[in-house]
Parts: sequence; C-alpha cells; structure tokens
Amino acid sequence: MMQFSRFLFYLFFFIGLNFYAQEEEVVVSLNVVNIQTVKLNKHSNGYKILILSDSIILNNSESFSSLLRYNSPIYIKEYGAGGTSSASFRGTSASNTAVIWNGININSINNGQTGFNSLNVSLFDEINVRSGGGSIEFGSGAVGGTIHLNDELHFGNYVKNQLVSSIGSFGTYRNSYKFSFGRADTAIKVGLAYNESENDYKWLGHNLKNENGAYHNTDFSFGIAQKLSDFTKISFYTSKYHGNREFSGQLPNPSAAKEKYKDLSFKNLIDFNYKKNESSHTLKLAFLTEEYQYFADKNSTNFNFGKSRRYLLNYDFNYKISSNSSLESSSEIESAFGKTNQIKEENRKQFSQSFIFNQQIENFGAFNAKVRKDFNSDYPMPFVFALGAEIKPAKNTFIRLNGSKNYRVPSFNDLYWPALGNKNLIPESSLQGEVGLGYKNNQLKIDVGAFFINTKDKIVWTPSGDPERPGVWTPVNLDDVENKGLEFLIAYKKNIAKHAVNFNANYSYTISKDRITKQLLPFIPKHLLNATVGYSYKKISAYYQHLFNGEIYTTTDNITDFTVPYFNVGNLGVNYHLLKTKTSQLVLGVKINNLFNKPYQVLPGRPMPNRNINLNINYKF
Amino acid sequence: MKISKFLLSAFILSVIFVSCNNDDEIQEPKGDYENGLLISGEGGASGSVYYVSYDFSTTESQIYKKVNNSELSVYLQSIAFDNSNAYIVVDNQNTITVVDRYTFLKKGTITADLELPRYMVVVGDKGYATNWGSTSDATDDFVAEIDLKSYTVTGKIPVGNGPERIIAKNGKLYVSHKGAYTTNNIVSVIDIASKATTEITVNDNPDELFFDNAGNLVVLCEGNNIYDASWNVIGHTPAAITKINTTLNEISSEMVFANDLNPSLLEIHGIDLYYNLGSKIYKMSQTATTLPTSAFVDTAAGYLYGMAVDDKNLYVLDASFTAESTLNVYNLATKAKSNTLKAPIAASKIYFN
Repeated sequence: MMQFSRFLFYLFFFIGLNFYAQEEEVVVSLNVVNIQTVKLNKHSNGYKILILSDSIILNNSESFSSLLRYNSPIYIKEYGAGGTSSASFRGTSASNTAVIWNGININSINNGQTGFNSLNVSLFDEINVRSGGGSIEFGSGAVGGTIHLNDELHFGNYVKNQLVSSIGSFGTYRNSYKFSFGRADTAIKVGLAYNESENDYKWLGHNLKNENGAYHNTDFSFGIAQKLSDFTKISFYTSKYHGNREFSGQLPNPSAAKEKYKDLSFKNLIDFNYKKNESSHTLKLAFLTEEYQYFADKNSTNFNFGKSRRYLLNYDFNYKISSNSSLESSSEIESAFGKTNQIKEENRKQFSQSFIFNQQIENFGAFNAKVRKDFNSDYPMPFVFALGAEIKPAKNTFIRLNGSKNYRVPSFNDLYWPALGNKNLIPESSLQGEVGLGYKNNQLKIDVGAFFINTKDKIVWTPSGDPERPGVWTPVNLDDVENKGLEFLIAYKKNIAKHAVNFNANYSYTISKDRITKQLLPFIPKHLLNATVGYSYKKISAYYQHLFNGEIYTTTDNITDFTVPYFNVGNLGVNYHLLKTKTSQLVLGVKINNLFNKPYQVLPGRPMPNRNINLNINYKF
Repeated sequence: MKISKFLLSAFILSVIFVSCNNDDEIQEPKGDYENGLLISGEGGASGSVYYVSYDFSTTESQIYKKVNNSELSVYLQSIAFDNSNAYIVVDNQNTITVVDRYTFLKKGTITADLELPRYMVVVGDKGYATNWGSTSDATDDFVAEIDLKSYTVTGKIPVGNGPERIIAKNGKLYVSHKGAYTTNNIVSVIDIASKATTEITVNDNPDELFFDNAGNLVVLCEGNNIYDASWNVIGHTPAAITKINTTLNEISSEMVFANDLNPSLLEIHGIDLYYNLGSKIYKMSQTATTLPTSAFVDTAAGYLYGMAVDDKNLYVLDASFTAESTLNVYNLATKAKSNTLKAPIAASKIYFN
C-alpha cells in the first residue's frame, strides 16, 4: 500500500509533466489501481496531453464524434450526424489515429480504423488525447495522435452511484448508470448505458429530413481490482458494446438511403502487477472480439459481415535505476484473426519488444528515449524510436521537444480483399518532430506546438494500382505525404467571490501535402478552432461551445468547384444544481445544439442537425 | 395599367406571330449547351456534367450546378435524351433529374418508385429506365415506365437480375443484363404494348447495345471473372461481340475474344465498330467476321472509362476518381491526338448535343 502510493506520488510530482484539464478537476487519487493515465504521462515528456474529464464527457454526450469535435484539435469526418465517422489528427488519414482502451490499441484489424460513432464513451471516467506519434507504446496507427479511453479503479472506503438521463429532440434518449465501490483491498466498478434516437433531423434549407439515421446502442462495462498482498494486485476489465445504426443518405434524395449497420465489440483485460523495491512487473492478458453486419438494404435479411478476435500477452518490467531515472522493457505477443464474408479467416502473429528510458533532471526538466522492434508474420516491420524532452527554462514556462518514427500496418482488407487485396504491402512509416512552448500557472495554461510529419509508403486504393490490371482498384504503397502545422491551446480559469469563469480553446492550422503532386490532401481543413466559455455562480452554471471548421477540398487536384464551405456552429448549455452536498449532487441541465439554427455540412451533401435541445438530469449519490 | 397590359399582350403576340412566320430565318440558339459534347462524371463528392463545344473553343465545367445552384449527388450513371429534355440518372439517389437539354435548367425530378436506376430510353412520351432494385435481392429488378408529362413512374416491368443498358426499336425494348453486383448473361426483349418479355442468352456480362446498319442488335459481352475458393481471380469467362437477329430474337453471329481479353467499351459509328482492350482501342467494320489483331489507337489512358465517336473524332475519357478526369480527342483520319481537355470526376459518358 505504502509502496504503491509512493510510487504514484513519485510519478506525479517528480517528473515534469503538464496536464491540461479543460476543467480544473484533476484530482489525483493516490489509490488509483490502473495506471494508464499515469503511465501515459510518464512516457510523454515533450508531448501535449489534453484531458477530457467526466464532466466534459457528460456535457458532450451526443456522440464521441461531437465530444472530440468541440474539445480536441482533431478533425472529425462524419457522414451526417450519427453516420460513419473517422478522425484526421494533424492532417493524417483515418487509420493514423489510434484509439487506446485501458492501454490497448483497439483500432479494427479489418480496416485499421476506429469508427467514432461505434463507441459509447459515457461510461469512461476520463479520456486523454495525446498529440503526436506513439507507435512505441501503442503500435500501429499511432501517427497523428492517440485517444485514450480509461476506466478508473481505486481502493478506499466508498460507495458511489451516478445516474445520468437525458431526453432530446428527434426522439433521443440517453441513459447511463455507474456504480463504484471501494474497500482497502478491493475496488469494483459497473457501468450500463443505453442510447436511442430517431435522429430524423431537418435538413435546413431543404424540405427534407434525415430519413435513415436512427440508432440505438447498449454498453456494459465492469472492472474489479483486488489487492493480494502489499506488493501484488490483480485487476480485470471488461466492456461489451452493441450498436445498431442506419446510415443516412445524401442530398437531394434522403429516401434513397437504406443501409443499416450492426456492430458488437467485446473487450477483456486481466492485469497482474507485482511491485517491490525498485522493480515492478506487470503481466497483461487481453482478449478482444469485434463483429459487424452491414445491410445494404435494411429491409432485407442479407448482410455482409466481418469478424475478428485478438489475443494479446504483454509483460512489462520497470526498474528504477535511481530516484530520477528508470528503465522499462515491454514485450508483447499478439495473435489476430480476421475474416469477412469474402475473406476466409487469416491470422497475423506479431512479437514486439520495446525499451523506454526515463530521466528526470532536477530543476531543469525530463526526457524519455524509446525504441521498439516488431516481428510480424505478414510483412517486414520498421524499427521505430522516439525521443521526448521537456525543459523548464523559467518559472511557469516549459519547452517541449519530441521526435519519433511511427508506423501503420496494412489492414486485413488491404491485404486480403478478394481479387483486390495486395499481399505485398508494407507498413506505412512516418517520421515526425514537434517543438512546443508553454506557460502554466494556477489560472492560465497556454501551449503552442509546431509539428512536422512525413509519411512514406502510404497505402492508397487506386484503379491504377496494378499496371497489369488497369481499372481494377487495388491498394499500393504509393503516397509520400507531408503534414505540417501548429496546434494552439489555451485554458483559463478565474474565481471572483462566488463567480467562476473559464475559457478553453484549441486551434489547429494544418497543411497536408502530397509530395508527388504538390497538391493539398482533400478533406483536411486548414483552420480548425473550437472554444468553450463557461460561467458559474452559486448553483447555476452555463457554457457556450463554438466550432469554426475551415473550408475543405474534396478532390486531389484542389478544384474549387468541389469544396465544402467553412462553417460556424455554436451550442449553449445551462446546468442548475438542485442538490449540492458532499455526498450527493443533483443537477438539471438543458443544452441547445446549433443554437443559431445554421445549416452546415461536414461532408458534401450531408447536412448536419438543425437546432435541437436536450434536457438532462445528473444524479450522484 | 390596362393599356400597358394590352401593349404587353400585343407585344408577346407579335413576337409569337413573327417567330412562327420566320421559319427560314437563322434559328436562335436553343441554349448555351447546344452544338457540343456533354460529358457526365459519376462523381466523387457529386456527379457532374461538363460541356465542350464541337470546335473546342468553349468549355464549361459543372453546368448543372452553375445553372441550378444544386448538386446531382452520386453516382451519375447516364443521361437519356428526347428532343427537348435530358434525363440525368443518378443511381444511389434513386433519382432521375429532368433538365432542358440545351439550357440545363431543371424541370423536375423523378424519385418515387425508382431503385438504383441505371439507364433510360425515351419512346414517345414515355421513358423506360432499368433499375437494379434492392442490392440484396436479385429477383426484384425492373424496368420503370415513366410518364414524361407528369414525371411519375406509371408501371414496372419485372426483368432478370442486373438490367443495364436499354435501347428501343419498333415497339420493343432491348435490355442488357450485366448482373448488378453479381453477373448475368441475358438480353431481354420487351414488347412495349403487351409487356411480354423474351430472354436471349449471350456470353457473360452483356453491357453496350447498338443497332448496326443491317438492323442487327450488337451486344458487347464483357466476360466475367472466375474466382477460386479464396476469391482469387484465376481467369475470365470469354468476352464476345454478339449480333442478334431481332426478327428471330436469336444470335446470328458471334466474335469471341481470346482468353483473358476482356473489352469494357463498345461504340458504333458510320460503318464501323470501336471497342477497347485496356487502354488500346480497336476499330473494325460492322460487317467484319473476325476481330482485328492490331490496335487503332493506344490511348495510354490510366483508366479508359468512356468513349465516343463522331465523323471526325474519337473521344476517350481517362478517368480519375479523386480529381478531374481527362478528355482526349483523336483525329480519326490521322489517329493523332488533337486536343486534351478537362472532364468531370469519374467521367464515364460522352453525349452529342
């Protein structure tokens, strides 16, 4: 017990880290069992980490897409609200953002991506967004950045319940219940969520509705941790998600849309930790399955399917060399099986070994040096490395530096799609660097970073992929892409008597260029800005969120005939605390999305919702 | 007020009177898009139509969007014409958009009772459009009968799986069945009056249909991929140019391509037939009984996706699906490339307007 908390204390307070909570709620429990957040921060010297607290998650419960759109520097490509949704982080492609569940990369092995409307995030306690590459710790796809979904378990003496329920426009109902229980040696957490929506919003400016957009999903999560001795503890996490969505259509005829998509994901993780003196050993065993059914016509019983399962075994050894340096070794074996109705089951085996060295220099800063090599049954893997450093030249200021090489492996679809897949593909590899400057005190945080990413051998599906078969779409390692830009973050909070104000903003400027054609990549806005301003007085609080999404090209030759224009959209929320005691809180809230009822499209021909409202209740007891 | 109305009426009447009585004067242009090529592209973000005048002096992109300030969406499959209108068929939108063929002003849309429409032909004041029906059902495919006065679907003629091209002659409709997402090997003959349907079996994946100068129905059968158990392509079924006697509804002659030679485009003009193998274009006489051995033109196109021929030129589309495509013009006499112009994204069809 003593050892463990001291270990955490050490991690948090002696290593130069920067936390950017959008609300000042970073309460670090010294009893936290799962150390994903801790580990992420320990390995992230020189990187920017944005923390989305549970209150931010709650205020943006519409979808994972909208949570990220209004609170992170990531551009979310969404095919109409609730439709397929993918991320572009720092101008990279959809498979270059890795989503990490309790430390494990959960991007699909079939297409290499995570669908941002195929996940319910309301049960997570915290979501971290780290900008920059991370293949050493998180493997394939950690190029533009990583998104970390964390369940927290902690020991202590408590029983907590939280019930959140909302009713909104377009027949939308969201409900979640979280229960957590702690004793000195035991911690338990249970979560249940159910969401449904007709999602038949008006297409502003047209006499049309979002006809085929209904969805419902169920999410269950469970976590348990048990202290076995002063040095040993074991924990187990499981999560099951079941979603059923329709894919809405396009202008001018939404009634043509008939697609439906069902998906099921099941994630399990056992974590065994032994820590004594200078050494810590962690053994992790994970089993993950994923299944989808795609109905081209929802009225038909015919569907296409994909199924995958992954087994993962990881051994992590951490050795504290001195009071301010440590060495960590991580060995991992993974076996992944994937099939679709057209691809017979394929198996990929992978072994990886990485080493991470951490050094902290008193009153000056800290740095990490990391290396990793993978061995894969299907293709040669690059040797990757990363360096990160954080320097504190003066009080409240810091300089961030990082550079890394990262990769994205070909997906099962890229390799094995019948008649089209290309078994000769190699992983995309990318080299990147970042310099950041920041200022931080109790009220104000500012961080500005300039990044550069060069990705070679990018996998592109093209009809001229195979010179022997012109006109046949095949994937090839073709593009050489460079992304450069700036990420700017500001967070400010001030209390005057009973009044509290806060302001958070993310701005990103991104130039992604095809080095061969010298053209900008389509579907990447040059300018992206989101901001939230909040105010609270006694029992009432209000916030306004704004998004400015710059113009995007939709063609690789950047013709101006096919652009999606920039748009501004704003949301307003008001919360009232009916009950506010130490043990229980009851908050009533109302949120108006698209306050100014402006028509906008994220992707061409796919209008986003008109003004809509939801009433919510959040009861903690 | 009354006087001005009277004057206006008088003026209008006089205009009508004058125009009705001046048949031999030079005709006013019918619209900006007369006397040129209309090139349609299936679309990336949206399908689009470009205009190129016959003398290549005027080119205009995105004419539908410019005139109507809206998009056609995906995927613009084909355009059918009558004397005054163009009917733009957009498959995934279950929509046929009606525009004036010369001004491109929108006149209406047909959306009800269409499901994945592909091609249309006009016979009198009726349109007949092939429809794949539900993507999950190979037995619900149909030809929609459309009243072109009210722009409504007035009937459905059930046909075999994957109806593609449709042409009409002497009260009959001829439909090639390429098989939608799968494969098929029939040509349907539909009697318009009785709706009676006859099927003629041909080689796999029949697509383009024409009547040759002898009155035969000429069909391009593209052949189909042959897969092994793990869905690897291990070969192709033979392609053929098939001629059908439309009196007997029987195949009268067939030119079968050698193994793994699979054309995807066929055009007919004057006394000749033109088809492609990859990026190479072959020319042969309509009456020839054997296939040519050497190419007429090698276009070196990355993806030859559309072709048209007139008296002077061969027009080919080299398609890009993420950027503007290219229209290359070859002089038929010299075989030399005379012009290179911009074409829509995923450009696939060329029409003479």
